[in-house]
Amino acid sequence: MATGEKLELKQNQTPEPLLHFLRGLWEENAVFRQMLGMCPVLAVTAQLQPALTMGIATTFVLVCSNAVVSLIRNLIQGHLRILMFTLTIATFVTIADKLLQAFVPAMSEKLGPYVPLIIVNCLIIGRAEACGSRKPIITSLLDALGMGLGFTLGLCVLGTIRELLADGALFGISVLPEAFPKWNVMKLPAGAFLTLGILLGLSNHFLKKK
Amino acid sequence: MDIAGHLLVVFISIALVNNLVLTKFLGICPYLGVSRRVDMAFGMGCAVTFVITISGTMTWLINNLILQKIGMDYLKYIAFIMVIASMVQLVEMYVRKFFPSLYDSFGIFLPLIVTNCAILGTCLFIDLWGYGFLEAVVASFGAGLGFTLAICIMGGIRENLEWADIPQALRGAGITLITAAIMTLAFMGFSGMIKG
Repeated sequence: MATGEKLELKQNQTPEPLLHFLRGLWEENAVFRQMLGMCPVLAVTAQLQPALTMGIATTFVLVCSNAVVSLIRNLIQGHLRILMFTLTIATFVTIADKLLQAFVPAMSEKLGPYVPLIIVNCLIIGRAEACGSRKPIITSLLDALGMGLGFTLGLCVLGTIRELLADGALFGISVLPEAFPKWNVMKLPAGAFLTLGILLGLSNHFLKKK
Repeated sequence: MDIAGHLLVVFISIALVNNLVLTKFLGICPYLGVSRRVDMAFGMGCAVTFVITISGTMTWLINNLILQKIGMDYLKYIAFIMVIASMVQLVEMYVRKFFPSLYDSFGIFLPLIVTNCAILGTCLFIDLWGYGFLEAVVASFGAGLGFTLAICIMGGIRENLEWADIPQALRGAGITLITAAIMTLAFMGFSGMIKG
């Protein structure tokens, strides 16, 4: 009996909630593996700072709405669930929007309509459907946190590359020598598509070899 | 004449110069997901155009005539998403009844029009730019047409890409994004058409 228990423990060394958390970070990374929530990924990553802000706001909404959905999962009727998810998310996005307006008005101005557009970020609805509506609250919380951090990571990678090449700067502070030729295309929409396309290609190339 | 000219400018500005997909990055998911064939892309474009036109108009009315009058601005996002969700429900029922084969080929992407940022984005931009009623109607229709245009061009290019020799790692999403990058460069040619 005791050995059986030990064996079972060994097999499930990582408890389920933690497993969900780690999976979101890289294995099922929203940006590079699942390609969810592409609009903000392309739209706000011309510089690192808005990218980071957007990542944090999205993570906040994701964690809160996943937790609420998980709490009310037994009360939701099947055919109304997408509507319930959307309304929950919209509520938290309104909160996040008001918070940004109050504490970082300049950044809120810069992000403009992309903050309310978090409502229609497929990543959040996808997690509510795949995890929040099925799993207990601890798992849902950690799952959302992992996915959110993975998403933030993706945004920051893109933001770093684009700001570095376009302005030779990070967080608005120039880090590259003056002689560095600035790639204006990286500031434009074309730069966003191009960077993401090449990054996807690279990640496919190196990860499939293993 | 003056009004008509102004509306034409609004229309061209949102359909070509500020094309939602290529300059505002809205509606990227269906743009990458449903653009494998031209006919599917066109069907998706029509559905989105219909939903955008109706919800752009309705949200303008709700926002300006109800929410702002009673000072409940903060309910804006929730009201907008409700309108869009119900419109999509309507379209879904209509397509399932009258075009069952199209319904099957769309699969999950039809209900996902709700989460198409192009629609909510249009409603928000109309609000942000402070458009009047007629401008709002024209702009939302133009936004839909601009989306259809972009997704159909992409569909055509991808049909031809099927026979191209693409590096293994770039197949699928990678090459689509790079194609999109080149398309946005082409669309930048329109940006000189309208000042401001």
